[in-house]
Amino acid sequence: MNDLLEVRNISVSFDGFKAINSLSWSIGYPELRAIIGPNGAGKTTLMDIISGKTKADSGKVLWDEVAIPLTQKSEYQIAKLGIGRKFQRPTIFEEQSVEENIVVSLKNNRGFFAALTYKYTDQEKLRVGEIASTIKLTSLLSKKAGELSHGQKQWLEIGMLLSQDPKLLLIDEPAAGMTTEERNMTVQLLRELSKTKSIIVVEHDMDFIRNLGCRVTVLHEGSVLAEGSIDHVSKNKEVVEVYLGR
Amino acid sequence: MNFIKRNQSLNFVIFFFLFSLFVTIASELAMGLLSTSFVKVLGKTLMLCLAAIALDLVWGYCGILSLGHMAFFALGGYLIGMWLMYERTKEIVISAASEQLIPLTPEETKEAIGNQIFGVVGGSDIPIIWIFADSLIIHLLLIVIIPGLLALVFGWLAFRSRVTGVYLSILTQAMTLALSLYLFQNDSGLRGNNGLSGLQNIPGYGNLTQDVISVIFLWLSTFALCCGFYIASIITKSKLGNLLVGIRDDEARVRFLGYNVELYKLLIFVVTAIMAAIAGSLYYPQAGIVNPTELAPIASIYLAVWVSIGGRGKLIGAVLGAAFVSLISSFFTSGQIPNIDFWIININWVDWWLIILGLSFVSITLATQNGLFGLIEKVKERVINK
Repeated sequence: MNDLLEVRNISVSFDGFKAINSLSWSIGYPELRAIIGPNGAGKTTLMDIISGKTKADSGKVLWDEVAIPLTQKSEYQIAKLGIGRKFQRPTIFEEQSVEENIVVSLKNNRGFFAALTYKYTDQEKLRVGEIASTIKLTSLLSKKAGELSHGQKQWLEIGMLLSQDPKLLLIDEPAAGMTTEERNMTVQLLRELSKTKSIIVVEHDMDFIRNLGCRVTVLHEGSVLAEGSIDHVSKNKEVVEVYLGR
Repeated sequence: MNFIKRNQSLNFVIFFFLFSLFVTIASELAMGLLSTSFVKVLGKTLMLCLAAIALDLVWGYCGILSLGHMAFFALGGYLIGMWLMYERTKEIVISAASEQLIPLTPEETKEAIGNQIFGVVGGSDIPIIWIFADSLIIHLLLIVIIPGLLALVFGWLAFRSRVTGVYLSILTQAMTLALSLYLFQNDSGLRGNNGLSGLQNIPGYGNLTQDVISVIFLWLSTFALCCGFYIASIITKSKLGNLLVGIRDDEARVRFLGYNVELYKLLIFVVTAIMAAIAGSLYYPQAGIVNPTELAPIASIYLAVWVSIGGRGKLIGAVLGAAFVSLISSFFTSGQIPNIDFWIININWVDWWLIILGLSFVSITLATQNGLFGLIEKVKERVINK
């Protein structure tokens, strides 16, 4: 299992507050990884740095076997390299149909004029069908995305990431606002996807993490506190202190 | 799906073709059914519709509320106006000199032209920016190039720094205001507050009467509007259209899908600026005069009001809004309607029209989701469902 992404000595501070403090960390391929930690531990900031939304003050983010540095790249360039980002709040194009949402996400030429002359091929139609069945929205393809339920919107966003055909998925709090049934389906979906992709999941819900059954990284005050299986980290004294101390 | 959508553009073209045909017959053959000045009002209205399509693309679809698009419109007018005025003055100078025994040297001709055009701002030298004023082809190219470049530089600076929303609107307003104030100066080289005038006379066609010219410009305007509508509908029906709406609704999502959002915004800003400039270059020869007040921020705000009354995010809505509101505006402000004395209030329509416009803007925005066009769609739906 080689490293797909390596974060080396990253630091970032906002107005003097150190959100990430010389953090070093990596993820293999394929791998499912959960990141937990109390509020303000730097979980979302870490994702922001990887996806280019926030620029690190110092340190490096290296991508793939050839170790492409990501720290100077902009969001769209990082996305094109194969990193998909899902936000906490479902961000989809509410005014457009489910199908249109997926079609604009499909991996192809991202240029202005390519978008103008784009033709929706039969092959792509099949791919959209595949993705729709993965995220269980096959019967809702022509529905306006804004009319979906909260859970379905979350899935649609995951489906949009899949259409990009990324190597790494960054998923921020997927279970928030979902029913128990939807949560279980999301766990299944993520586990299935992790066979061919690397996935980083940030989540507060411990049951959800337990069900994922993957390696867990605990962040605290911007650096890694512990790493290992959920049972392993939950026995860690420091981790218990951090969680109970607050 | 696509077939029906293509038909919509076709219907649009057919409608405006028949409209122009009707106006032509009514003004030329059925002598005087429509006055020349009214034909000009109609032709100008078509070009306001084109400007509205441009704003609808950039605002209604892409979510960039530009309050400076009328600057590009007026620039288009200035650029065609420079050629019109220069050539026309040249004709006059040469014909005046033809009665003299010794013909004018090129230098003398130039000096005479300079005196004629710039005497009003106390100068006689032809400024450097008029260097191509002798060439129609270059000036037609400049109508595309200059506003396009201005939009490119302005857009690049603004979008690169991720200025969005109301801040961007303010910035575009500052741009048009700055340009307007600059043009007000006498040494701007464009005749200060006098602007360029006499644009209704077409050089080389002095024998054509205004009623013929008005009809020619009506057809040119119809052609330009149909082309603009067609291009805009190609854009909105393509994947690019989906992306523009995506940028409007959730910019970050588009960015994290791997699209260079800033480049998309910049290009659509430039394309619509050029569209507005072309509209202006056909509008001002019909208006006869272009001056710096045309670049005042209020002009761009009116454009935004028309688009939202008509229904933004729908091309037909923008056309409808611009046509409807600007025609009624010119009706109310023309002074044709007698003032009404009502108790102690004297209703002077020129002033009261603004209040009516404001009230209808507020009520249409509040009552309907998509302006007049949305209202029509709703009524249509009800009728069909019954």
